Amino acid sequence: MSVMLRQTGALAWRSVVTTLRIPQAWFPSLFFPLALLAIFTASFSNAPGRVPGFPQVRGFLDFAVAGSVLQGVLIAGTGAGAAFAADMETGFFDRLVASPVSRWAILIGRLGASVAQGVVQGLLFLGIAVAFGARIEGGLTGLLVLALYAALLAAAIGGLGVILALRTGSGEAVQGTFPLFFVLLFFSSAFFPRETMTGWYKAVADANPISYVVEGMRSQVIDGGDARTTLVGLALALGFAVLSVGISSIVYRRRLATKGA
Amino acid sequence: MEAPLGNRAVAGDAAPVGPARDRSPRTFDLLDAFPQPPLQAQVVFAHLRIARGLGGVMMAIRALVAVSGKVMLGGSVEQLLLELRKTLLSVTESGARCHPSRSVTAVRTRRKGRSANGCANLVIADDMEGAGVSYAIEATGLERAFKGGIRAVAGVDLHVAKGEIFGFLGPNGAGKSTTVRILTTLLRPTGGTATVAGHDVVREASAVRRRIGVALQDAAIDPFMTGRELLHLQAVLHGISRHDGRSRAQALLEQLELTGAAERRVGTYSGGMRRRLDLALSLVHEPVVLFLDEPTTGLDPHSRLTVWNEVRRLNRELGTTVFLTTQYLEEADQLAGRIAIIDLGRIVAQGTPAELKASVGEPALSVTLADPGQRASAEGVLARLGVALPGSSRTVAIRMPDGAAGLAPVVRALDEAGIAVAKLDLSEPSLDDVFLAKTGRSLHAEDEDDAAA
Repeated sequence: MSVMLRQTGALAWRSVVTTLRIPQAWFPSLFFPLALLAIFTASFSNAPGRVPGFPQVRGFLDFAVAGSVLQGVLIAGTGAGAAFAADMETGFFDRLVASPVSRWAILIGRLGASVAQGVVQGLLFLGIAVAFGARIEGGLTGLLVLALYAALLAAAIGGLGVILALRTGSGEAVQGTFPLFFVLLFFSSAFFPRETMTGWYKAVADANPISYVVEGMRSQVIDGGDARTTLVGLALALGFAVLSVGISSIVYRRRLATKGA
Repeated sequence: MEAPLGNRAVAGDAAPVGPARDRSPRTFDLLDAFPQPPLQAQVVFAHLRIARGLGGVMMAIRALVAVSGKVMLGGSVEQLLLELRKTLLSVTESGARCHPSRSVTAVRTRRKGRSANGCANLVIADDMEGAGVSYAIEATGLERAFKGGIRAVAGVDLHVAKGEIFGFLGPNGAGKSTTVRILTTLLRPTGGTATVAGHDVVREASAVRRRIGVALQDAAIDPFMTGRELLHLQAVLHGISRHDGRSRAQALLEQLELTGAAERRVGTYSGGMRRRLDLALSLVHEPVVLFLDEPTTGLDPHSRLTVWNEVRRLNRELGTTVFLTTQYLEEADQLAGRIAIIDLGRIVAQGTPAELKASVGEPALSVTLADPGQRASAEGVLARLGVALPGSSRTVAIRMPDGAAGLAPVVRALDEAGIAVAKLDLSEPSLDDVFLAKTGRSLHAEDEDDAAA
């Protein structure tokens, strides 16, 4: 067991190190959410209080930062999937599998790195938002809850990325699914409150589970964590993570079985 | 410094310890405690090998058995085997301190129905069974069919003895890589069986993985890591302790002339350096059997030579069995003791390079005379040395079954008879001739296709 832990740690460490060494791997997941956050905050700074139905918040930044954390996790998670696919494409995966390393250490190491990246990045975004005047009403507890959210979501998206990697074997295919996630994000309450939406757009956002996840996260920032909103969001994130990691381990095991490794 | 083959001291210790150059204090304690007659220091330094069990000890002349750092027995290998059979149970029961077993021990012990308390002593007992394994690689009727019914490997039988360098020769797409992937547990066979280092590649895949080193064709190296980092990672994957992993990495970097590039990312390495690192990675855990899939394809002559030398050294000094696939006839000829030629998924010929060449024709010597007037006397001299072959007005030719080894008497005889020679031409059948004879195609043509692709 301790051997497996050590192997998992070493593989996770390797994933983190290589991610850090490839600017293309971490830069987009930092830059795009922050850039979008900056643009939205500048454009819609007047929205709170003026747009009918907008929740009571100190400013748009406080409102939007949760969505940015989610967005960053999304990019990082797809990156993890793409890196997993790249390992299969280059044959590095074969090297791992030909060694007596625990099969699970390979999968868990990769997902662990994705979780680490998601959490660190989420905290970084929150730190930047605070530096620009946002306030996390939930305090330290709120921050920990947000970190938990980031961890669960990173595992969920990472697992999804791994499933795609195993099914397609191509890093590009995995990266190619990213816009799809992005669309899902826009059809949720990640950037605008559902209260301000109308018609079919509102219907889609109401049905989109991401809305409830992001609202659970946002609640930590804007109202100190409403119990119901927080728990609904956490339950969804947890369910998503369990489902995604579970399916990825099934797909992973099946691939190893047919391949013989 | 080099002692002749077989003149090695082997310490059979239950715990895997690094090689002598690691200067592990434990190794030297063991040596101090070695019973009479003492080992000669030179021999020890040149050939000391630490083995986990008797499998690695068999090729030594003398060995010692240590349990938990205490020397229990020492002497010639035959003597040790006898002693061990007599004393094994009493040693175990005498309460010698036992380490918790490693998984190797536990698995084997369980299979033999003994208590799995994993005494270090039992490793020795277990490996006695291992010592009975005569082949490093054994495959019977191996098959792999892919979707669409294409049989990349269609009934391959292989017997590779321990300590052998075995060449697996064939053009692209002949089934070489598929066979290697099956033998290295990366691909399940759809028919037949194979054992590597005494373990079934399907049922005992993890036991096989612990004993093999694998350097696959498409050098699978993470370009964003440094050479040393990758070696450390590989050591962890093999369950080697941090300390041993570090010294092992350093030793391998030195051996493969990569010390200068150790802290550089692999992405900056040349093709030859990458291949050498690949080799180093496959050696971290001192494998019993090493699989090299086209180790020198596309390498410059210098790097090719470095790889060849390292392969020879491993084989000579550590007794590592090497299974080498190649498209290069020269490589197979240079390195391999025995060769199998595979074509369209089947083995078409198997044997030593000399046997294979002899099977398609004998070497011939053609002597070009400086003075055509001496032709008759030259024919007379040469007729005594070999069967005559048709020559020309200036040349005389004979069969030369021994190849180059038979040249000296010919030269001497010609010299004694006062015959002036302009040119000596020894033509031996090449492996390409063998390939041509067995498959009806030239391997060389495939090479060129490959280079053009």
